[in-house]
Amino acid sequence: MSTRTSFSLVAGLAILILLPFTQSNYGVFVLSSWMVYSIAAMGLNLTLGYAGQVSLAQASFMGIGAYTTALMTMAGIPWPLAMLAAMVLCFVIGLLLGYPALRVQHHFLAFVTLAFNALVVLVLRNEEWLTGGTYGVVGIPRPEILGLPTQKPLAFYFFVLALFMLTAAALYGIIRSPWGRAFRALRENPIRANSLGVDIRKTTLLAFAIGSACGGLAGGLVAQLTQFIDPNSFGLTISLKVLLMVIVGGAGFFFGPILGALLIVLAPEFLRFTEGYYLMLYAALVIVLMVFCPSGLLGLVERARTALKLRQNPNATTWEAGR
Amino acid sequence: MKSKTIAPLAIALALSAGLPNASWADTLKIADVIELSGAGATVGANWRDALKLAFEEINAAGGILGQQVEVTDYDTQTDPTTSRAMVQKAIDDGAYVIMGPIYSGSVKVNMMVAQQNGIPQLTGAEAPFITDMGNPYIFRTSFGAQQSMPKLVKYLAEDLKVKSVAVAWVNDDFGKGGRDSFVGELERRNIAVNADVSSEVGQADFAADVIKLKSSNADAVFAYLHEEESARFLKEMRKQGVTQPIFGETTLMNQKVVDLAGDAVNGVRGHVGLSANAPIPGIQEFAKKFEAKYNYKPDHNAIKAYMGAYVVKYVMTKNGTADPQAFADTLHGLTITPADEPGILMETSWDDKGEVNRDSFLVEVKDGQQTVVSTLPKL
Repeated sequence: MSTRTSFSLVAGLAILILLPFTQSNYGVFVLSSWMVYSIAAMGLNLTLGYAGQVSLAQASFMGIGAYTTALMTMAGIPWPLAMLAAMVLCFVIGLLLGYPALRVQHHFLAFVTLAFNALVVLVLRNEEWLTGGTYGVVGIPRPEILGLPTQKPLAFYFFVLALFMLTAAALYGIIRSPWGRAFRALRENPIRANSLGVDIRKTTLLAFAIGSACGGLAGGLVAQLTQFIDPNSFGLTISLKVLLMVIVGGAGFFFGPILGALLIVLAPEFLRFTEGYYLMLYAALVIVLMVFCPSGLLGLVERARTALKLRQNPNATTWEAGR
Repeated sequence: MKSKTIAPLAIALALSAGLPNASWADTLKIADVIELSGAGATVGANWRDALKLAFEEINAAGGILGQQVEVTDYDTQTDPTTSRAMVQKAIDDGAYVIMGPIYSGSVKVNMMVAQQNGIPQLTGAEAPFITDMGNPYIFRTSFGAQQSMPKLVKYLAEDLKVKSVAVAWVNDDFGKGGRDSFVGELERRNIAVNADVSSEVGQADFAADVIKLKSSNADAVFAYLHEEESARFLKEMRKQGVTQPIFGETTLMNQKVVDLAGDAVNGVRGHVGLSANAPIPGIQEFAKKFEAKYNYKPDHNAIKAYMGAYVVKYVMTKNGTADPQAFADTLHGLTITPADEPGILMETSWDDKGEVNRDSFLVEVKDGQQTVVSTLPKL
């Protein structure tokens, strides 16, 4: 890590620590939900950006995580145990779903995961004895850390921030590890990766399961953030929203999903002055971005940087300039 | 990574700096937290337009306590989580009273926020549980389903001698709450439920549902769906030539359903808490003003919002202060008559839970018009 990188990371963290003090409760709520969705999107980025597989089931894992955390904490089980259980459960379900589902790829996988999402929503709604059905679960407690309650928005923000940083660090480690390099090799050229000894099936499955566990963690946080969950909070639209975050930010870039989540969560805020037109504008912006820059916003930044370097050093190849 | 790292952080900072902060002005702030997009947009638009009309009138007449009222719209996107955030935002922005939303699933979530902050909330929601949660700041603007269903079932049992009913309902908080009250009331009167068919919010195809209802051979069909689904449902009922009489509660005979489904609504009967065609001069005058301004007919949600705005005016004027706590204390157990405040179009009482009580109507849709068959007295 260069000095510049470390400096910007420390500066970023300082901003995240200081920013909520300048905000109203609503601002803190928006920032908290941005980080929660970032965790879910970073998980999906592992599947989509690094392993190259389209999954439309991230919301269902958020749902499984949310209900597990909510029901367990409401039954009096300590929150660290409940959230860990949510993540483990999502990891295992990710493996079980991925094992047959990852035999198919791309849009076929999208269909399989779409069906799985619909299935989870139906189970959440119909198994009333467990999930409360359509009425959902109300009054989910927020965690208490070493005797400190996080009932207040600001306290809960720092709880989310801590988990967000931990998840980001863990995922950064994974991406830099031999596994992470295998994920990327797979995305760039599966045949070559295979010939170099990467087990395609196992590696993709692992990426999918880790991504699902991130979804479970994000779901647990959603449950505590809004203190209410119902099956519709985890429908297909949420899966599409998380997918959009990854794509808009830049799939395959480490900071892509974080930037994407920021835009998707905040866009309604900035477009609110347009009143009834903001959903249309929002849709138009996404279309324009996808047409001109399918690799997302960070892809755009990277392209500009490569172009600049090529101009400075016309003898370099694109690959060299892109480094 | 290098400078790749800096770009998103810089953007993050730039964007976040723009997040709105609480601001206070010397106007009286009222928040309209309502469904302006998503599945609830049609009912939300009625609510917002009527609210705007009422507060324009109130402002033209000098405002409340000498202050002009400033109404801000917050779109819930018909999503409970968003609605919770919007109520939080409204309170941060300094609202004294929150008006809305209409969807019960949203109200259940966001009423906790209003309660924690001690801000009164006048909602358009009708699911029974809203007033059962011990929240001293929630007030209805129309009947909960647990009050309207007994009136309807009494009519079915005593006037029409119905022995069996097929029930179609939408599977969300609103639909399930209403369905449970209705079926519970049928059981008390020993009326059989021959079919019990649930559908989805936003469902487009009702062919299979209607086949089940049709083959149930019940004496009557009862449908409890949102407005747009009601329109699609009724069209399918007519297409399949269902001959049993169709009954509903409020939404099924709504003006929006008439606009969307046209002739298919003719002949539908049911109970409504409020109707733009009620034989009450105040309501008819309101309907005229509304139609002149917005060029469409108001539904019951519009009447609810209009009356809600005048409730705010009446209570604050009575208290001599805009204080939220005093507002909630005063409205519990209060009865307001049109003589007290002409904007309260019908005499209305609130009990200690925030439940509403007033006259209601049995209506039948004839030639695309809600026609009031009879007026049912206060419970």
